[in-house]
Amino acid sequence: MRTLPLLLICVLLGVASGPHAEPVVVVNARSGIERLSQDEVINIFLGRYRKLPNGAQAIPIDQPETSALRAEFYRRLVNKELNEINAYWSRLIFSGKTSPPRSASSVSEVITLLGSHAGSIAYIERSQVDPRFRIVLEFQR
Amino acid sequence: MTQLNPAAAKLLGMPGLLMRSTLMVILASVLAGVVAVAYTAYTTSQRAQETSQIRLNELLDTIESTLEVACFAKDATLAGDLADGLLSNSDVLAVNITGDQHVLADKRRGWLDAASDAQGVKLLKRPIYSPFDSGKIVGHILLTPDPRVISARIKEEVRLAAIQLSWQLAMVAFAVAAIMLLFIVRPIKAMSDRLHSMDPTTGERLPVPRRHADTELGQLVSDVNALSERLVNTLAAERNLRVQREIDEKKYHTIFDNAESGIFIIDGAGSLASWNPAFERMFEFAQPHADDEYAWVNMGLLSWDDPRKISELISSALRRSSAMAEDMLIHLRDGKRRWVNIVLSPVGDNLLQGVVHDVTHLKEAEASARRLVITDPLTGLANRLGLEERLRAHIQEYAFTQTGGFALLLINLDAFRQVNEGMGLPAGDSILQTTTSRLSSCVKSGDTVARLSADSFGVILNRITQGEVADKISGRIRQAIRQTYFVDGSPINLHASIGITLFPNDAFDVPTLLRQSELAMDSAKSAGGDVHVFYDPVLAEAAEHRRHLENDLRGAIRNNEFVLFYQPIIDLRTRRVSGAEALIRWRHPSRGLVPPDSFIPLAEKTGLIIDIGLFALDAACRQLLAWQGQALDYTLSLNVSGRQIPDGLSPARLREVTDHYGIGTRRLALEITEGVMLHDIEKSLHWLKAVHEMGFRVYLDDFGTGYSSLSYLKMFPVDTLKVDQSFVRDMRDDNNEHTLVGAIIAMGKSLGLDIVAEGVELSDHIKALNRMGCHYAQGYYFSRPIPAEEFGAAVHHIDTLLKGGLPAEQAPRL
Repeated sequence: MRTLPLLLICVLLGVASGPHAEPVVVVNARSGIERLSQDEVINIFLGRYRKLPNGAQAIPIDQPETSALRAEFYRRLVNKELNEINAYWSRLIFSGKTSPPRSASSVSEVITLLGSHAGSIAYIERSQVDPRFRIVLEFQR
Repeated sequence: MTQLNPAAAKLLGMPGLLMRSTLMVILASVLAGVVAVAYTAYTTSQRAQETSQIRLNELLDTIESTLEVACFAKDATLAGDLADGLLSNSDVLAVNITGDQHVLADKRRGWLDAASDAQGVKLLKRPIYSPFDSGKIVGHILLTPDPRVISARIKEEVRLAAIQLSWQLAMVAFAVAAIMLLFIVRPIKAMSDRLHSMDPTTGERLPVPRRHADTELGQLVSDVNALSERLVNTLAAERNLRVQREIDEKKYHTIFDNAESGIFIIDGAGSLASWNPAFERMFEFAQPHADDEYAWVNMGLLSWDDPRKISELISSALRRSSAMAEDMLIHLRDGKRRWVNIVLSPVGDNLLQGVVHDVTHLKEAEASARRLVITDPLTGLANRLGLEERLRAHIQEYAFTQTGGFALLLINLDAFRQVNEGMGLPAGDSILQTTTSRLSSCVKSGDTVARLSADSFGVILNRITQGEVADKISGRIRQAIRQTYFVDGSPINLHASIGITLFPNDAFDVPTLLRQSELAMDSAKSAGGDVHVFYDPVLAEAAEHRRHLENDLRGAIRNNEFVLFYQPIIDLRTRRVSGAEALIRWRHPSRGLVPPDSFIPLAEKTGLIIDIGLFALDAACRQLLAWQGQALDYTLSLNVSGRQIPDGLSPARLREVTDHYGIGTRRLALEITEGVMLHDIEKSLHWLKAVHEMGFRVYLDDFGTGYSSLSYLKMFPVDTLKVDQSFVRDMRDDNNEHTLVGAIIAMGKSLGLDIVAEGVELSDHIKALNRMGCHYAQGYYFSRPIPAEEFGAAVHHIDTLLKGGLPAEQAPRL
C-alpha cells in the first residue's frame, strides 16, 4: 500500500511534463554547423565557452522558465534539475563575467531568436524542428 | 681504615654521593627531556601539518562546489572571491586557482615572499571537477598553508610538553635524591662516622644499619667487619713476627759480634760493607770504634801475602755464583804470618758474604803431619813414602826435561837383626843413627838418603847415568859401613848388601825401581853380603820363576799333591826293620815327582813349610796308625824345619794330632839339624824341651857337617844322632871318614845317645858299623825311600837280605 502514493506522484509528474517532451539541440541552418558534441553543448549553455567550433559567437537560448522542455533538456544534458542549474548560475551572476543563456519568453520566441541570429543555438521539441534549423545534437533515451 | 682522610671522605663520601647521584639523575632527566621534547616537537610538527592539511581540505570541501563553478565557468572574479575567502582563514597563506590553463586567482597574504613558502610546508593541491561531469577536471586549486601558524602551534605544544616534563623530572629528581639520602647516603654516612671513631683492635665493629639487614648495605657492613677482623688478625700476626724478628736479630747480632770467625759482607769490587769484631782482630784494624774511617776499606788492601788471590776468589765466586773457599796467607804487624781460610758465598745483588777463620794451627799441624808421614822419626831421614815421593819427583822432572837420570841404591845391613836382638834396641838405634851420618857423608847434597825399614836404607844418587859412578859410590858406602861401630864402648863390625837400579835404564816407574833394587839386594845377600849388585834382568827371571813355583806350591797344598815316602831304618842288633824316616815328596801333575831340594827352600822362605809340615805330621800319624793296625811297632821320624819352630809345629799341635790318631809319642821322632837349633837357641831349646817331655824322641840330623858341638849335645835333649850320609857313603877301611864315623859313634854312645848311620850302601858299611857298635842303619843298601804301599815288600826284602848270611857283598838295590 505504500507504493501507491509514490506511483501517484509519478503519474502526476508524467502528466505535467508531458509524455512527448524530447529536446534536440538545433542551430540556425545557415550557421554551417553540422554536429556538436554534448560537451560542446554543455560548455555553451553553461557559460564555459560561448563560441561555436567555427569560431562564431554562440548565443544559447533557453526555453521559458516554466517549460518542461527546459527541465528535460538540462536533465538530459547534465543530469541536473533546473533549481540546480539556477543555483549554478546564481553563483556566477555576481561576477558578471558570464551570464546564463537568454531565456525566451515562449517557445515561439525561441524559434524567432534562432532564426534571427546565425550563432543562435537552442533546444526544441523534436516535433518543432523545421528546415530552418539543423539538429546538431540528439539525446539518447 | 680508621685513618681515612676527612677531606677524602667529604670528596668521595656521603654529600658527594648525594650530589653526584642527584646531578646524574638531573642530567639523565634533562637528556631524556630533550629527547622527549625533540620527539614531541617532531610529532607535533607532523600532527600540526596533518591537522593543517585536514583543515584546509575541510575548508576546500565547503567551497568545492563554488570552486567547481568558478573553474568551470573560468570566472576569475568568483575564483578571486573564493581565494579571498580562503585567505581569511589563518591557516592559509596563499591560494592559487587555475582553471583550464588559465590562472583564475593567485592571492597571498601578508609579508612572506614566495621563496619561503615551500620551506617545510606541504602544499595542498586539489583537482577541480566539472560540476556537470565528475570525471572531467576543469582546474586546480593550490593552497599554501601558513608555516608560521604551524610553527607557532609546534612552539606551543613543545612549550607545554617541556613544562610538563620539567615538572615530572623535578619530581623524579627530588624523589631519587630523597630516596638516596634516606636509604643510602645516611646509612653510609653513619657507617663512615662510626668507622672514623672505631678502633677495630679493641674488638669494635660496625652495627648493621636499621632495616638494612638484608640489603647490600647490610652485606657491606658485614664485609667491612670481616675485613676488620682479618686486618686485626694480620696485624697481630705481623706484630708477633716483628717481635720474633727483633729477638732473632738480637740473637744473630750476638752471634755476629761474639763469633771467633771473621764475618763480613763485601760488594763485587771488594769494598767491605760490614764486618764483625773478630774480623777486625784478625786483620788488626787499628781502632775498632773508627768505623767511618774504614767504611770504604777494600778487601784487596788488607795484608794479604798475595792480594791477587783474593780478587780472583771474589770474581770467581761471583762468576760461578756459588760458594768458594781458599786458604790464604796474611802478614801481621809483628811480622808473623797467619794462614786464614776464607769462604765467600754470593748472597745476590752483587754482594758476597764471607767467613774467615784462622787456620794457622791446622796448617802447621797439616804440614807437620805431612812431614811425619814421609819422615823416619829415629834418623830424621825420609821414610819409604818420602823416598817414593822423591822418586816420583825425579821421574816427573826427567819426563819434563829429558835430562838427568839417577841410581837407586837399596842398602841392607847384614846381620843387623842379631845385633838388635843380642844387644838390645838402643844399641840398634845408635848403630842406625851412625849409619845415617855415614851414608849422608857419602852422597852429594842433591841426593836423597831414606830409611825404608828396620835395617834397610835407600839412597837416590841424582844425575847419575853411568853405572861406574854408582859402582864407585856403592863401594864407598860399603867401606863406610865396614868401619867399626862402637856401642857403649863395644866394637861391632857390620857390613851391607847393596842392590842398585839405574833410571831410566832399568825401569821407568817407582814400584818397578823399588822391586828391581830389592831383587838386586836379595841377590847381593844371597852372595853372602858385603857386596853391591846391579840389577840384572836375570834376577827378575829368577824371581819370576820363584813366584811361579810359589804359586804351584800353594796349589799343591790345596790339591793334596804332597805325599810321604818312607825309608826303612834297620836295627843292626836285632837285624830287623825298626821304623822309617818319613820324607816329603811332591807329586807334581806335570813335572812328576819333585825332590824336596827343589821346593823346600822356597817353602821355608815363604812359610808354606808350615802347612806342608802339618800335612806331613798328619800323614805320618796315619801311617803309624796303619802299622799299629797290622801289629807293627815301627817308629817314624819326621823332619822339622827351623821355620816350624816354635809355632809352626807347636808342642800342643803335636800332642793334639797324636792324640787324635791314638799314637804313642815314643813312636814319633822329630828330626832337626844343628842349624835349626843354633838359629835361635832360646826358642829351639824351649821347643825341644817341651816335645821331649811329651815323649817325642829327638833326632839330630846331618850330624858332623856343622858345628857338631859337644856342648850343644849336652845342652839339648837329643835322643839320637844321625850320622850324615856323606861320611858313611865314603867310608873305606881306615880312611878319614871311617875314623870320623867311628869317633862320632863312640862319642854318641858315650853320651848315651842312639846312633843312626845314614847313606848305608854296601855290606861293608854294615860290617864296619857293626864293628863300631852302631845301633841303626838306613840307606840304599836296604831300600830307597818308598811309598807306604811298597813298605811291606821292602821289609820282606830286607828280612831275607839280613837272614841270607850277612853281610852280602852285592846287595841288589831296590
